[in-house]
Amino acid sequence: MNVLEIRNLTKKFGDFIAVDNINLSVAEGEIFGFLGANGAGKSTTINMIASLLRATRGEIELLGRNIAKHNKFAKMNIGIVPQDLAIYEDMTAYENVSFFAGLYGLRGSLLHERTEEALQFVGLGDKHRSFPRNFSGGMKRRLNIACAIAHRPKLIIMDEPTVGIDPQSRNYILNSVRKLNDMGCTIIYTSHYMEEVEEICTRIAIVDHGKIIADGTKEQLKSTITDTKDIWIGVKSAESLKVDSLRNVQGVTAVRMDEQILKINSKTEVNNLNDIIQKLIRDRVEIRSVEEQEPSLETVFLTLTGRNLRD
Amino acid sequence: MQIWHIAWREIKVNLRDMRTFVLMLAFPIVLMLILGMALTNAFTSGLSLGDMNLLYRDTADNPQLEASWDQFTAAIAKEGVTLTPAPVDTDGKAEVSADHYTAYAEISNNGIAFFGGVMHTLESNVLQGMLATFADRYNLAAAAMIDSPEKAEAILTDTYAGGDFVAETALGSEKKPGSIDYYAMAMTTMVAFYSCMSGSFLIRGERLRNTAIRLSAAPVSKGTIFAGKVIGCTAINFLCVAAVFLFSKFVFKADWGDHYAAVLLVLLTEVLLAVSIGLGCSYLFMEDGGRLVVLIFTQIASFLGGAYFPVDDATNFMKIARDISPMRWANQALTQIIYGHDWLAAMPAIGLNTAVAAAFLAITAILMRRREAL
Ligand SMILES: Nc1ncnc2c1ncn2[C@@H]1O[C@H](COP(=O)(O)OP(=O)(O)OP(=O)(O)O)[C@@H](O)[C@H]1O
Ligand SMILES: [Mg+2]
Repeated sequence: MNVLEIRNLTKKFGDFIAVDNINLSVAEGEIFGFLGANGAGKSTTINMIASLLRATRGEIELLGRNIAKHNKFAKMNIGIVPQDLAIYEDMTAYENVSFFAGLYGLRGSLLHERTEEALQFVGLGDKHRSFPRNFSGGMKRRLNIACAIAHRPKLIIMDEPTVGIDPQSRNYILNSVRKLNDMGCTIIYTSHYMEEVEEICTRIAIVDHGKIIADGTKEQLKSTITDTKDIWIGVKSAESLKVDSLRNVQGVTAVRMDEQILKINSKTEVNNLNDIIQKLIRDRVEIRSVEEQEPSLETVFLTLTGRNLRD
Repeated sequence: MQIWHIAWREIKVNLRDMRTFVLMLAFPIVLMLILGMALTNAFTSGLSLGDMNLLYRDTADNPQLEASWDQFTAAIAKEGVTLTPAPVDTDGKAEVSADHYTAYAEISNNGIAFFGGVMHTLESNVLQGMLATFADRYNLAAAAMIDSPEKAEAILTDTYAGGDFVAETALGSEKKPGSIDYYAMAMTTMVAFYSCMSGSFLIRGERLRNTAIRLSAAPVSKGTIFAGKVIGCTAINFLCVAAVFLFSKFVFKADWGDHYAAVLLVLLTEVLLAVSIGLGCSYLFMEDGGRLVVLIFTQIASFLGGAYFPVDDATNFMKIARDISPMRWANQALTQIIYGHDWLAAMPAIGLNTAVAAAFLAITAILMRRREAL
C-alpha cells in the first residue's frame, strides 16, 4: 500500500499559486526526496500533508485514509521536522521531546521510554538535562528531529533538516535517516543539497514553480537527459580563467566552478573537448584531469528547471 | 488530559523563569514598600474625612418612619454630620452641584433618594453608606439618584451590608486604609493585571519559536491548546498574585480584612480577565502591534486604576478612563470587602471580570478558528 497518495493538490495564497496541481504517491519504505529551488513550493506541500495548511483543491491520503476526514489518524502517524527550528529554548532536551510526545497521548513510563529512545537515537542521550540554548546548531537540529520521532510515526517529513550545520552533524543526521528507514519509517526529505538527496533518497521529485516536473529514481531522472553530458575538468587555479569564453564554445550549455573542479554541461552530439581544452590552455589554466561522464543530478536539475538549486 | 499536559508546561516554564519573579514578585513588593513608606503622610491626609453636610427633605408622613429617621439623624449628627432640612423652594441637587452641601437626600414614603456630589467623593460615599444602611435596616427601598453609574453600583452593594449605621460611620474615623494597606492592595491588583503581558505572549510566543507548527501538527484540537494555555497562564500568574498577597499580609502586615476567599476570588478572576485581554489583543492586533497595545493599556490601566496613588478626584475624561480600568473595579470591590466587611461586594467585580474575560476569549476563539495554523 502507498503510505502517501496526493491527487490534484493545489494551494493558493491569494492569487499566487504556490502549489499547482501536484500528483504524487510515496510507497512504504521509501526515502522520497523533494528537490526544488527557493520558493518552489516544497514547504507548502509538506505543510499540507502535515495538516498545517488547508489545501485549496485536491486531496491527500495517508495510509489509505483521507487526511481531512481522518485528521486525528493522519496526525498520529506523521512526524514533522520543520524547516525552522521548533524547540523550546527554556526547556531541557528531555522536556522538549517529552512534551511533544505527550501531545500524542503518551504518558507515564511509556512516555519516558520513548523520550529516552528518541534522544538516544539522535545522539543526545547524554544531554537530557541540558538546555538547547547551550547547544550547537547541529545539536539543535538533532533535537528538532528527536521531537518529531518519539511517537513513532509511520511517515516522517523532514524539511531541510541539515540546513546550516557542520559536516559531522550532517553525517549523523543522514545516518539517522537511514536508520529510521531501516526501522520501517517512510521518509519525505527536502534539501538544498544535491549530494545529500542523491546519497540517501530512493526516489526524487523535482519541484519547480509549484509543479512536479519530473520524478523517479536518480537513474531514471538521469536517463531522461540524453542530449547533455558533463565534462569535469580538474584545475589547479582558476584565477586566470575566462568563464565567458568557455560559454561561447559550441555545444556548451553551462559552466560553473565547484571548488577545484570546472563543471561544464555540453550537448552530447557535439565533440568540443578539444576546443574547451584549447581555450583553457590559452587562458593559462593548469589542467589536472579531464573526465567526461553521465549527467549528474545537478545537471538534470539545471536542464529541467533552467536554474541552479542554490544561487 | 491534553489540556493539563499543555497547562502544566506553561506553569513549569514560568516557574523557573527569572522574569516571572522580577516582574511579578520582586517589583510589586519593592514598589509596595517604597510607595507605602514614602507616601505615608501624604496618604493619610488624603483619605481623612472632611466636613459632611447633608441637605435633606423629609416628605414622609409615616409615623414609624418619621420616628426612625429622627433617631437616625440624631445618631449621625453625633458622628459629625451636619444636617440641614431643605427649604421648600430649593433645588437640592443644584445645591450639591454648587458644592454648598456634600450630598442631598429625599425621604418619602417610597424610600430614600440620594444625590452625591462629585467634589467630595469620599465624604459623599460615607453619607451614602449611612443612608443605605438606614434604608436597609428599615426595609426601605433605596433608590439612587446619582450622577455616576459607579455610585449606583456602590449603593446596590451597600444595601447588602447588614451592619449598623453607626458602625458604618467608623469608616471615616477608626478604620481606614493606611498607606501600606492601600499599596498592598493596589500592587496586588496591579500584578494581577500584569498577567495581560504573559497572556499576549501565549500564542505569539509559540509562533515566534515555530513550536506553533508542532502544536498544530499534533493530534490535539486548537480548542484544547487554547484552553490548556489559558488555564496554565492563569494558574501561574495567580500563584504570583497569591504570593504577593501572602507576603504583604505576613511581612508588611497589611490589612486584608477577614474575607480571604472573596479577596482571592476577585484576584483570580482579575488574572483570568487580564490573560484574556492579553491573548485577545495578540490576535486583534497582529504581530508586535499586540504587544505594544497591551503594554500601553497595562500601564494606563494601572496608573488610572490607582496603582501609584488613589485617583479619587477625577473629572470628565480621566474619570471615564478610570472607571473602565479593570484595576479600579477590583480595587473598589476589595475596599468594600476589607473595610465594609462585606464579602458580597465581591460579586459585581467577579461577575464583570468573568464576563469580560469570556467576551475576549470568545473573540480570540473566533479569530483563531479563522487562521489556518495557530
Ligand atoms: N503564508 C504564505 N502567504 C503567501 N505566500 C506564501 C506563504 N507561504 C509561502 N508562500 C509563497 O509560496 C511559495 C512557496 O513557498 P515554500 O515555502 O513552499 O517554498 P520552498 O520550496 O519551501 O522554499 P525554500 O527552499 O526557500 O524553503 C513562495 O513563493 C512563498 O513566498
Ligand atoms: Mg521550504
